[in-house]
Amino acid sequence: MSGFVRLKEITKIYKMGEIEIHAVDGINFEIEKGEFVVIVGPSGAGKTTVLNLLGGMDTATSGTIMVDGSDITKYSERQLTGYRRNDIGFVFQFYNLVPNLTAKENVELALQICKNPLDARTVLEDVGLGNRLDNFPAQLSGGEQQRVSIARALAKNPKLLLCDEPTGALDYNTGKSILQLLQDMCREKGMTVIVITHNSALAPMADRLIKIRNGKVSSVERNKFPMSIADIEW
Amino acid sequence: MKKRALRKEFYMEIRRSLGRFLSIFFIVAIGVAFFSGIRATEPDMRYSGDKYFDDNHLMDIQVRSTLGLSENDVKALKAVEGVGKVEAGYSVDALCMKNDSQVAVHIMSILPTLNTLTVENGRLPEAEDECVIDADFLPGSGYQIGDVIQISSGTDDAITETLTTDQFKIVGTVSSPCYISFGRGSTNIGTGSVEGFISVSEDSFKMDVYTELYVAASGAKELIAFTDEYDERVSEVVKNVEGIKEEQQKARREEIVNEARSELEDGRKELEDAKKKAGEELAEAKKQLDDGRGKLNSGREQIVSSRTELENSRATLISGQNELSANCAALDAQQTELNGKQAELNVQKEELNKQQASLDVQRTPLEEKQAQIDIQREQLNQKQAELDQAKVLVTQLRSENEGLYTEVATLTAAIENLQTEISVLQEELNRLDPGILEEAERIEELHALMSEKTQEMGTAQTQVDTDHAQIAANTAVIGEVQPTLEPGQQQINTGSAALEAAQKELDKGWEMVNAGQQAIDGYWKQLNAGQQQILDGQVQIDAAKAQLEAVRIQIDAGWVQLTQGESQLAEAENEIAKNEQALNNAQKEYNTEKSKSDTKIAEAEADIKDAEKEISKIENAKWYIYDREHLSDYSGYGENADRMRAIGKVFPVLFFLVAALISLTTMTRMVEEQRTQIGTLKALGYGRFSIAAKYWGYAFLATVTGCVLGVLFGEKVFPYIIIYAYGIIYRHMDTFVIPYDLGYALMASLTAMVCTVLATVFSCYKELREQAAELMRPPTPKQGKRVLLEQVPVIWGKLSFTWKATIRNLVRYKKRFFMTIFGISGCMALLLVGFGLKDSIFNIGVLQYHELQLHDGNIILNTDASKEVQTAAIQELKKDSRVKGTAMNLLKQVEIGNGKEWKDVYLNVAENTKEFSDFVIFRDRLTKENYLLDDEGVILTEKMAKQLDVEPGDTIYMKDDVKGEIPYTISAVCENYLQHFVYMTSDLYEKGYKEAPEYNSVYFAVKEGEKDQIQAVGEEVLREEGALSVSYATGIESQLDDMLGSLNIVIVVLVISAGMLAFVVLYNLNNINITERKRELATLKVLGFYPMEVAEYVYRENIILTIIGGLVGMILGKLLHRFIIITVEVESTMFGRNIDISSFVYGFLITVGFSVLVNAVMYFKLKKIDMVESLKSVE
Repeated sequence: MSGFVRLKEITKIYKMGEIEIHAVDGINFEIEKGEFVVIVGPSGAGKTTVLNLLGGMDTATSGTIMVDGSDITKYSERQLTGYRRNDIGFVFQFYNLVPNLTAKENVELALQICKNPLDARTVLEDVGLGNRLDNFPAQLSGGEQQRVSIARALAKNPKLLLCDEPTGALDYNTGKSILQLLQDMCREKGMTVIVITHNSALAPMADRLIKIRNGKVSSVERNKFPMSIADIEW
Repeated sequence: MKKRALRKEFYMEIRRSLGRFLSIFFIVAIGVAFFSGIRATEPDMRYSGDKYFDDNHLMDIQVRSTLGLSENDVKALKAVEGVGKVEAGYSVDALCMKNDSQVAVHIMSILPTLNTLTVENGRLPEAEDECVIDADFLPGSGYQIGDVIQISSGTDDAITETLTTDQFKIVGTVSSPCYISFGRGSTNIGTGSVEGFISVSEDSFKMDVYTELYVAASGAKELIAFTDEYDERVSEVVKNVEGIKEEQQKARREEIVNEARSELEDGRKELEDAKKKAGEELAEAKKQLDDGRGKLNSGREQIVSSRTELENSRATLISGQNELSANCAALDAQQTELNGKQAELNVQKEELNKQQASLDVQRTPLEEKQAQIDIQREQLNQKQAELDQAKVLVTQLRSENEGLYTEVATLTAAIENLQTEISVLQEELNRLDPGILEEAERIEELHALMSEKTQEMGTAQTQVDTDHAQIAANTAVIGEVQPTLEPGQQQINTGSAALEAAQKELDKGWEMVNAGQQAIDGYWKQLNAGQQQILDGQVQIDAAKAQLEAVRIQIDAGWVQLTQGESQLAEAENEIAKNEQALNNAQKEYNTEKSKSDTKIAEAEADIKDAEKEISKIENAKWYIYDREHLSDYSGYGENADRMRAIGKVFPVLFFLVAALISLTTMTRMVEEQRTQIGTLKALGYGRFSIAAKYWGYAFLATVTGCVLGVLFGEKVFPYIIIYAYGIIYRHMDTFVIPYDLGYALMASLTAMVCTVLATVFSCYKELREQAAELMRPPTPKQGKRVLLEQVPVIWGKLSFTWKATIRNLVRYKKRFFMTIFGISGCMALLLVGFGLKDSIFNIGVLQYHELQLHDGNIILNTDASKEVQTAAIQELKKDSRVKGTAMNLLKQVEIGNGKEWKDVYLNVAENTKEFSDFVIFRDRLTKENYLLDDEGVILTEKMAKQLDVEPGDTIYMKDDVKGEIPYTISAVCENYLQHFVYMTSDLYEKGYKEAPEYNSVYFAVKEGEKDQIQAVGEEVLREEGALSVSYATGIESQLDDMLGSLNIVIVVLVISAGMLAFVVLYNLNNINITERKRELATLKVLGFYPMEVAEYVYRENIILTIIGGLVGMILGKLLHRFIIITVEVESTMFGRNIDISSFVYGFLITVGFSVLVNAVMYFKLKKIDMVESLKSVE
């Protein structure tokens, strides 16, 4: 059993007319279960593509992605949807809450469809929004919204929590607290969390740091002693 | 220049968002097309109608007069200002057979130029007995071109008083601009309604005066029919015509009065003549009568004298007869005596005959002896004769011998001579020398001579020898006979003597016999004398008898004559008796004739007096001046145009509104979407106007091109379809005049532009007002809101989470909510109107003939026929086993009014209210409450009640020629769709009209299962003389269907348009919805919603919106339907106000269907949403 998540020679080629763009060009890495992984790289390096592929939102041109023993590159559209539904939790940069639903309802939106969800209220309390359950997103601050977003992802009890620049739209402190929340979740619930960011300052907090550049993995580092986010300044 | 980049961006924008551009383009095009098209239909109908009327030179004004119109009137009319052309014509209503029914037709003369007939088939009439026939009447009438149509007047006057013939050969079919639709007007003959028209040449009429004059108003042709301008122009001319009306009416009366007067004078003269003639004739008759009587008397005298004469001749005859009888008796006695004498004589004769017989016995031996003697004497006489003969022979032979002896002597001498001569010759010969030539010749000669002489000598010698033989023979005979002669003579002498003795003895016997004979003969003489005497007596008696016979014949003849005379006399008496009878009859006749003639004369005199009175009573002619409105269906066409205008006011506006709102939403959305771009441009320093220009331009371009297409398409296609549809009713109006109507085009286009451009300006303005920086940021998201429903936890708590989301979403996007509701409800409403029109209009036949008027047929009775004949027809109907029931009624057209307004309705009087109620159901349309027909009041049909604005309890008036205005109370108003009726009982009729109703119609129904036999039943009844015609409910129903068929196309147009509208609206709104919520939907996908679940999330909203829209649409549609029904309704019909449940269902299903279709299309769009979208920043 080598690796909870394993990417092998993954490539993704977009065709724009005559031109082929190699967004991801032969990526290989492995992630162990329960790790807090940070994927870092500059804009346009292919981080998001990797995330999309991992999240089953896109299919690779070649290569294999093994998640918990299954090759998701072989999945059909429907299987992929099921994969997203049951195995993946997603945290977006812009939260992507349904504006018309309250915080609790937004969480419930996700719970409704998955197999063994957690209780919405509990999860929201876990993320520290116990008193904002019935507020609409518009009534919440950015950080709070992101917490709802995280709660929504967590409530599904996914195998993999994928976060795409979760702090990108947040101010420094809020961002920090969100990252703290994610790290806590990883530690407390043993969840495998993958955070994508262009902010290399976050690298020390990761169990595993994967650097991507020009569609290739430039380095994979294991951090035996990851720092708490609280100790990181940038 | 400097904004080239912007311009490029503009074009790129269009290319990129071609879908959006086209959606604005099409929605504007549809809206504008519908708006301008439907609106333009109304004027286009007028143009088309006007063109048709102008092409066919339809008259503008028609003048009719109660007394006809003369040349004088024509002249006067021509002089009226504004009158362009006057043409005079004749017309008459007549009856003809259509299949088995008698129907009324309008016969009119063909005008020179006005009211041009269009020949549909065949040709126009050329001869007096040819006609062309209504093209709508011919099919199904049983006639064909080439057939002869027989017409009759339908009144007491023969049709041939009006027309030259009552049989016309159909030579063609035509249509007339006077009859543009199915209506042919009404008449006072037959069933009262005219079924068709017949046009004939003017020569076919033989009327003295024209029946109508047609006027073409000058300047009216250039104006468009059915417009106020036209109406004003015509009414101006009508007013001018009214100006001469009074005068002409009077003049016409004068004409007639004068004519009548002179006719009356003629009549009077005629009467005088007749009177005189009658007097003369009567006198003559009287004289003849008297003569006859005199003659009769003399005849009688003559008979008496003849009788006396006859008696006299009878007496004479009888005496003559007696005398004759006496004479006859005397004669008979004489005859008897004579007969006795004759008998005596006969006895004597017998005796005498006996004596004679005995004498005859004595005579017989005598006669025998005598005969013997006679034989012997004969023998003796024979022997004597023989002897005498032998004596003669001997003598003869002796004399012959002596002759022979002489001859022998002569011959011997001749021989000696010859011998001498020969010797001479020989000597000479001897002397002659043969040597000498001359001598030789002589020798020769001598030789010949010598032989000759020798020969002669031989002959003589022979003769001598013969003679000697003869002499010897003769001598022998003599010797033999001579000795027998003597003894023979002696013997004879002795026989003769004996004989003489016997004779003497016999003669003595003879003497005795002869004496006896003599005695007998003497007796005979005596007897014969007696006989003679008797014969003489007989002759005398016969003569007397003959005489008597003659007398008897005379007497018989006398008797015959007498008998004849008697019979003659009897005959004469008979004759006289007869003559007397005849004379008496004649007298009687004379008397009656005289009295008759007297009364006739008296009557005639009275008539003349009446006529004089009547002439003095003749009223002025009454002119009726009609304009085109009077033509059947003419105004109907105008009303149809008005109806189109009404439709044009509602429908297109609705369409337009939707279209405008859609473009507004679309443009607003576009501006909102490009918020960042606007911010960027603003930040770059572009002016507000330059930025906004892109959006205005975008909207403007889409709208303008949409408008152009819409106008080009709509203003041609919609009027064409609708006018074409109306062509089903106005089937001969084949002109389409569909000009582009700039007014409506501009109205529609400008409104469309204002809507879209203003909407754009408005949204731009809102965006442009904000700071550039603000614009660069995503818009503050709309706050989620709690909905009212959340306050009701009972419901809210039970709702599943997704429903909560749906409801919140619905409330949140209010604009979309209302737009969608509006679009869907509009679609639903249009569909409902479409189907509802069908229900209300097409149902009226079913309602009318299956729920209200339940008769299958209606027999119109021949009211000219006697009651018995009519009853026979009704009996025939009742007897028919297929007939379920009948109801006798009176059906006639009357004018009713509320005192101010007057309308035509059918008065229907029930003979038997109970029977009648089986055929006509009176009920309230809404409450379905049934009414009863009673003597309290009349029942009026709904539409008429509405038109006259009367209610139950109000009084209406019925106009009657004689009774004036008869008031009636309305007891109820009943549901009815076709025609207008006022129903009443016979008692009520009698109360008002003061006379019993003359029933003229019989409703009848056939049994279930025999419905297909209706026609057969009708035909059988029609064979009865008492039945005039029959109409069938099914026939009227199908006719109705035809008529309403044209609305079908309008309905189809509505439904299709509604569908298109619904589709475009829903598509557009959904499109916007999805675009707006792309991010949300992408997130859902990322969260692992299956495509169907994502779709459901959206659909749920759509379903609710569709349902709400549908419900709103039902209310809207119901209202709209109501409005349209009332506008579309024609005068004589009431359309149903109902919409069938099924129509709601269909309408809703179709709406849902469109919704589903749109959502199905959306499904693919949803599927295409990229999840990566969710990762993008909010724009």
